[in-house]
Amino acid sequence: MKRSLQALAVLLLLGIAKMPLEQAATREFRATGLLSEPMDLGMRENLSQMGFAAALGGLRSLVATITYLQAYHEWENVNWAKVDSLLQLTTSLQPGYANYWDDASWQMAYNAASYYLYDEKLQPMVRGRLYEEHVRRGIAILKEGLRYLPDEARLWNSLAEIYERRSHEPELAAQAYLEVFRISRNNRYRRFAAYQYAQSARPEFWSKAYDILHEAYQDPRQRTPSLIDTLKTLEDKLGIPTMKRIPDARRSMEVAPTELGPIR
Amino acid sequence: MSASFSLPRIRTLAMATVTQLLRMKIMAFLLVFCVIVVAAGFAFPVMNPEQQLKLLKDVSLGALQLFSIVIAVCATALLLPRDLEDRTLYTILAKPVPRHEYLLGKLLGVLILIGAGLVLMDIAFSGVLWLRQSLVLAQSVAALQQEGTATPEAVAQLKEFVGRQGLTWNLHLGVVAIFFKAAVVTALTLMISCFASSTLFTIIIAFLVTILGHGQGLIRDYFLTGHAGVVKKLLSALLAVVTPDMGVFDVVDNVINGETVTPGAFGFMAAIACTYLAGYAVVSHLLFVEKEL
Repeated sequence: MKRSLQALAVLLLLGIAKMPLEQAATREFRATGLLSEPMDLGMRENLSQMGFAAALGGLRSLVATITYLQAYHEWENVNWAKVDSLLQLTTSLQPGYANYWDDASWQMAYNAASYYLYDEKLQPMVRGRLYEEHVRRGIAILKEGLRYLPDEARLWNSLAEIYERRSHEPELAAQAYLEVFRISRNNRYRRFAAYQYAQSARPEFWSKAYDILHEAYQDPRQRTPSLIDTLKTLEDKLGIPTMKRIPDARRSMEVAPTELGPIR
Repeated sequence: MSASFSLPRIRTLAMATVTQLLRMKIMAFLLVFCVIVVAAGFAFPVMNPEQQLKLLKDVSLGALQLFSIVIAVCATALLLPRDLEDRTLYTILAKPVPRHEYLLGKLLGVLILIGAGLVLMDIAFSGVLWLRQSLVLAQSVAALQQEGTATPEAVAQLKEFVGRQGLTWNLHLGVVAIFFKAAVVTALTLMISCFASSTLFTIIIAFLVTILGHGQGLIRDYFLTGHAGVVKKLLSALLAVVTPDMGVFDVVDNVINGETVTPGAFGFMAAIACTYLAGYAVVSHLLFVEKEL
């Protein structure tokens, strides 16, 4: 009996002594990204009992892979609601993996949105509404992902592309492209942002676009046809004095055709 | 009976334990693991290269973790009852072998078996991952060549990208983290089996505590920062004290996604695992000394 009490005392002492060590380790591992944030207990409603126990039991990555594969199966069945719900579960299980956010958003903003847009069984008004809703859902997914991964250039780029190609919001697309530039320091994305600003209906953004593109123009390697064309349009829109305008586009291309960059 | 501490005696007991477990055909799970790894390695070829490699890593390391925990619980739970049933325990303790040496020998034996099993599974997993990675790279380079864009820079960039998703030393550190967790589960199961009345009881309680241990971080946070009544606080404190924090070894999930196990993090995990091993070994000894055989 005496030994049993001693055992209990050692167990309790061990438990008390280990707690600060474990707390420090958990804090350190979360800060360095080695451990994910604790699982949301609300997930229990969406995961099966087994899946929840497995995810809680250190197999989150494996459970996320399974729900991701299930989402692809539902994609084959064209069950968009289920695809969304399964991918939401996948991203909640592994919020630190950018590919899951990117895929979830792509499914909604491109696949589901286009599916409804071309569904001839639906009224044109309904089609437009569903298209809009799914594009918005894709944007919401990326924004949520960027809360976890604010420096993930890939997610910012996907967000910019959705604003540019799906929801046609050039100012927001430009801001997202500027974020890609901030992270990657690749000038190409700064140019993309300027092209978007140039398409804005608001004149205050034209001068932003002009400043960026004019600066890019100083580097002969960046004098692409799109850049010259957009600059010329902006010069007209902003009423830039003739003396400050760039030379004729055709002439500048003839002078140094080999120094031109890619098309965009 | 000698009260001394003899390493050769512990080693002999450990090797006897390994032999005993091998005779129980416990390593058959290795075959199952190989089938799972090969299946995961070559399933879903339509996914992009990054996803194919991630799927292989997720499934293989998940299986590796599952097997190591199941072996840690089942093999350890079987040891003492089997020795009692075979009367081997009486033969051993009749010799000048102190009970703590017997326990340490058993613990070491299971740890050697799990360690060896993990090494073999890691070799099989690494082989399949390397093969898959080479195939993915060859396919991607061939696609570039077909498009006429296979410049040395593009191929080098592709190699670097696939290499990052493929086999790295970091993955092996993830496997070591799995071993640490299995070691803690082994020591915990041995401690439970020292006071348990049956093998089934040991297995059930060990699994229960292991599952609770994965949520120990949440329980601890609730105790330290939660705003609850006294009873709830006391209950959460008790659970946080008596259950080991298994979540701290779950770095493998993020290692798959490319996070690096720093020497500091590795040291932290090793220190926590050693603390549990030492603590549970002492408690096991105190319980086993008093156990009527």
